[in-house]
Amino acid sequence: MSGLRGTSRRSPGRALLLLLLGALLTTSAGVAACRSKPAADFGAPAATASPVAPAPAPSTAGPVPIQHGRPAATAPDSPTRLAIPALKLTAAVDAVGIDEQTGDFAVPPSVDRVGWYKFGPGTSAAAGSIVIAGHVDSAEEGEGAFFRLGSLEAGDQVELTSTGGISRTFQVVARQRYRKTAIPLQKYFARDGDVRLTLITCGGPFDQRTRHYRDNVVVTATPMS
Amino acid sequence: MLVMSLRRTAAVGAVALIAFGTAGAFASSPAAAAKANAQVSVVHGIPGQPVDVYVNGKKTIPGFQPGKVAGPLSLPAGEYDIALTKPGDAIGDALLTVDDAKVPGGANISLVAHLSVDGKPVLTPFVNDTAKLAAGQARLVVRHTAAAPEVDVRAGGKPVFEGLSNPEQAKADIDAGTVSADVVLAGTSTRVLGPADLNLKEGTATIVYAVGSADDKTLDLVTQSISGLHSAPGGVPSGNGGQADRGPAPAWYGVGIAGVLLGLLGLSRLVAARR
Repeated sequence: MSGLRGTSRRSPGRALLLLLLGALLTTSAGVAACRSKPAADFGAPAATASPVAPAPAPSTAGPVPIQHGRPAATAPDSPTRLAIPALKLTAAVDAVGIDEQTGDFAVPPSVDRVGWYKFGPGTSAAAGSIVIAGHVDSAEEGEGAFFRLGSLEAGDQVELTSTGGISRTFQVVARQRYRKTAIPLQKYFARDGDVRLTLITCGGPFDQRTRHYRDNVVVTATPMS
Repeated sequence: MLVMSLRRTAAVGAVALIAFGTAGAFASSPAAAAKANAQVSVVHGIPGQPVDVYVNGKKTIPGFQPGKVAGPLSLPAGEYDIALTKPGDAIGDALLTVDDAKVPGGANISLVAHLSVDGKPVLTPFVNDTAKLAAGQARLVVRHTAAAPEVDVRAGGKPVFEGLSNPEQAKADIDAGTVSADVVLAGTSTRVLGPADLNLKEGTATIVYAVGSADDKTLDLVTQSISGLHSAPGGVPSGNGGQADRGPAPAWYGVGIAGVLLGLLGLSRLVAARR
């Protein structure tokens, strides 16, 4: 140590070098930390209908609507394929409902498939939120179809193809990140209001102990035609 | 599939007493209920007799056919005079009249023209349960409004509502999906109606009326549905790998700390050198 001190006394350049190296490392770490920060939210999810259900027309105006009292037998048109060119992603879409054990959205367990909420609006819906959720990743299978969902930008296109070969193209208008405890799911699963496509996955900090992400990432897209 | 928590409610039966006494119970709050209009649907369950429906002396539903459901009418809370005539007949020659029917604010009501157990035309009000359903669930309501004895309602061959008599109703919230339902004489397997496939849509109350007359062989089903009772799922769990956690890798923390230490060391050397 005494030798070293002696050397540094003679040449302050070596101390400067240490200082410079320290600054370089600190800066690199800082840049890495900044880069890893999640992208900021943008846009507003498409307008939903007012929380109060619109009152049906007063009975005095026009004829009273008549239904024919037979059981309904129509199924909404199920999307079967989702394509997002900006992410070079094409994924098969399964019609899914609710996990009976948890009451949660039953996201397909296979990470390369995504799930369409079959109780809500389908591909050619005229109103409401068409919801598709997919894994960001899984412990068993690695990166999921929606691994890069959070990097979509306004204007990116999303194409939905349905059973009958019908397809509909949507354009990203908003991206939001919420804590799972605070996400306004009623709004994202609304069946009224302007028609929109809602893509949901997980994101944010990961809790190694509970094996859960803290947040949900939600991308909203509106139809281009 | 059908896990039934069977709840049975006796309908307000008497024809003359068409007061919707319990209707307010389903309204969200008394204050809101007082202001909101009631939603009133009219169900025609009398075979072979089209009618004109008058509300407070005004022809509201002309040429109303059997088996159909009209409405909902949005009516301010109050008392209403209701009359059913043969199409084109004067209101004085009404087939059925009910005066001063009380309609409470905010309620959802089905007013059913049907046959009593002994085959006479009657009007029965039922209050519809429009409470929100859990995600994935559907509500099935069965109403016995036919000139027929006590019945059991079966789904997939298994009795789900037993010993239902005119004008009673039974209700259950179950998993959404299609069930094959039929109606048998209570305690027997003598089928009087069906089987019919019922598509119980998620977030929707499907109300099935047994109508007509067993003696006249005019028994039939009429269905009414009330949508918009859905709830969102509890959550969207969609990742358990942790790879998408964009927090800086632990190694970068080490690099940062090393950098700061090196910097401090360099600084102290520099200071020492200047002394």
